Amino acid sequence: MTTRDLVLIALFAAIIVFLGIIPPITLGFIPVPITAQSMGVMLAGCIIGAKRGALAYVLVILMMAIGLPVLSGGRGGLAILAGPTAGFIAGWVAGAYVTGLLAERLVNEAQSGMRQTAGFFIASLIGGIGVVYLFGNLWLAFVTGIGLEKAFVGSLAFIPGDLLKAGIATLAARAVLVGYPLLPQRA
Amino acid sequence: MAIQFTDSSVRFGQKTALHPLSLTLAERRIGIIGLNGSGKTTFARLINGLVKPTEGRVTVNGLDTVADDRAVLGEAGFIFQNPQHQLIMPIVREDIAFGLKNRGLTNAEIAAKTNAVLARFSVSHLAGRRVHELSGGETQLVAIASVVVTGPKILILDEPTNQLDLKNRRLVAATIDGLEQQVLVISHDLGLVDGFERVLLFHEGQLIADGQADDTIRRYHEVAGC
Amino acid sequence: MLRSLYIEGNTPFHRLPVRVKLITLMTASIALFFVSSLQILVPTFVTTLCLYLALGLPWREAFGRIGWIAFAIAIVALATWYFNGLHEALALTFRLMALVLLAAAITATTTISAFMDEITVMLQPLERLGLMRAADVSLALGLVLRFVPEILDRYENIREAHRARGLPIRPLTLFVPLIILTLKDADTIAMAIDARGFRRQ
Repeated sequence: MTTRDLVLIALFAAIIVFLGIIPPITLGFIPVPITAQSMGVMLAGCIIGAKRGALAYVLVILMMAIGLPVLSGGRGGLAILAGPTAGFIAGWVAGAYVTGLLAERLVNEAQSGMRQTAGFFIASLIGGIGVVYLFGNLWLAFVTGIGLEKAFVGSLAFIPGDLLKAGIATLAARAVLVGYPLLPQRA
Repeated sequence: MAIQFTDSSVRFGQKTALHPLSLTLAERRIGIIGLNGSGKTTFARLINGLVKPTEGRVTVNGLDTVADDRAVLGEAGFIFQNPQHQLIMPIVREDIAFGLKNRGLTNAEIAAKTNAVLARFSVSHLAGRRVHELSGGETQLVAIASVVVTGPKILILDEPTNQLDLKNRRLVAATIDGLEQQVLVISHDLGLVDGFERVLLFHEGQLIADGQADDTIRRYHEVAGC
Repeated sequence: MLRSLYIEGNTPFHRLPVRVKLITLMTASIALFFVSSLQILVPTFVTTLCLYLALGLPWREAFGRIGWIAFAIAIVALATWYFNGLHEALALTFRLMALVLLAAAITATTTISAFMDEITVMLQPLERLGLMRAADVSLALGLVLRFVPEILDRYENIREAHRARGLPIRPLTLFVPLIILTLKDADTIAMAIDARGFRRQ
């Protein structure tokens, strides 16, 4: 790993922490404020790619584990890793990796804006929502013994908000690709 | 002991950043001036191996910047144009100490060296401060301290008085004056390099004047058209 | 900002080595999943609760730290009750709460540097295999702590620029310039790290 990769990982981890510190943001057309931090998985994968994106999340989780309140709402500490939602935390790493992997395959600089946007959206949906929910619900099902299916049904309520976040993350990732492309130079 | 350029040139892709040049730098105080994009920063970065010559070679006190690049980094310290980027740990004391890690020193030795260098630049009172909250002048002094503590024999400063007020400019200038190392300063602040033994002028990737400060600065005014 | 959740103190739990605490947590988290007897789980829960409350945290803070997770556990417990019956739900609640309290107690009694020392030791095998360098982890951690305030400042500046130009504040117009400006620093920061010889190749 080059020093530049190390720095990009740390800077992106700082961005993820920052997204948890700022107050929730309201969108013009929807009255409910959204927490920005949960977009981080999609942003990390789409902007700095699979390996660096996943490592940025490893770093954030490490910081959380050693007692820094790096998650939104000032949450942190080992307790989160011991709770029933720990699977989602593991899902962030895998989700950022899968998002990045798909973005690296689906998007390149020569494509039209439309195709880039579509590529980022697919990557965000599969990696940022699909993989994160899979990990989260597998753990939840294991902890509770209620079965994977029922766990999934329980988390459906969060899907609309996450689709919206995937949309915002897609547009942001595409704008960053235009302004300062990092994805093509894989780690 | 000197910095030696032998037919050294730098190209980035198609663009020639620095045309071939050969010279020896042995003076204690050397100024580097020129318009924006004239090649002066590329020239300076060749010296500590941050940029490698496309052709020719550069040696620093006998060490080749390509073959002995790690040793060269220890020999020539670089203080960047935006020193905020150079300070990479959250607290001043931690930042200076971090440069001393992985060198086989004990924690006590690291602490002693850190305190000594802060005292040497009269910034002991900043030891516990957050790097991010330092003023422009303080940042510059801490950045110099963070490089000096690792013991380089040559210091290269890129625009050290950029964005400083008059008082801090004078403070930084006096600090540079007091350095025992060989010092190279890239600057648009002509007053800063005025008293130096030797001043180099770059223009469009070429070294076009090299000599006493007065003569080189006069030539710079001609090139700039004012 | 980003103040550690460590609480100054000198309880026996504070003095316990980090490694012992972490091994205890790991053992407990594996062992308790094989236990569903309330006769064991309830006393375990009470023990960890007493341990946590004896650390010297103010009451509000003590509950605030675990409130969110306790809420999540409550939801999950309700679902379990509905699908699998009351006994399962109670077992799950006491099991998870015991683990959460133990984990929160470790967080409150261990400093960042103690954790970092332990992490460096744990990474030694990986370093010996040439997979990574333990020193890189503390470097990366330092960089995050160093640049979070910087990003917040920049965020404020971008917001002010929006107001000055009369633009509405939208996530896209805020985050995109912020991400680009932040990541653009990577080149100079990396160059500075190499120039200062932090990472000997």
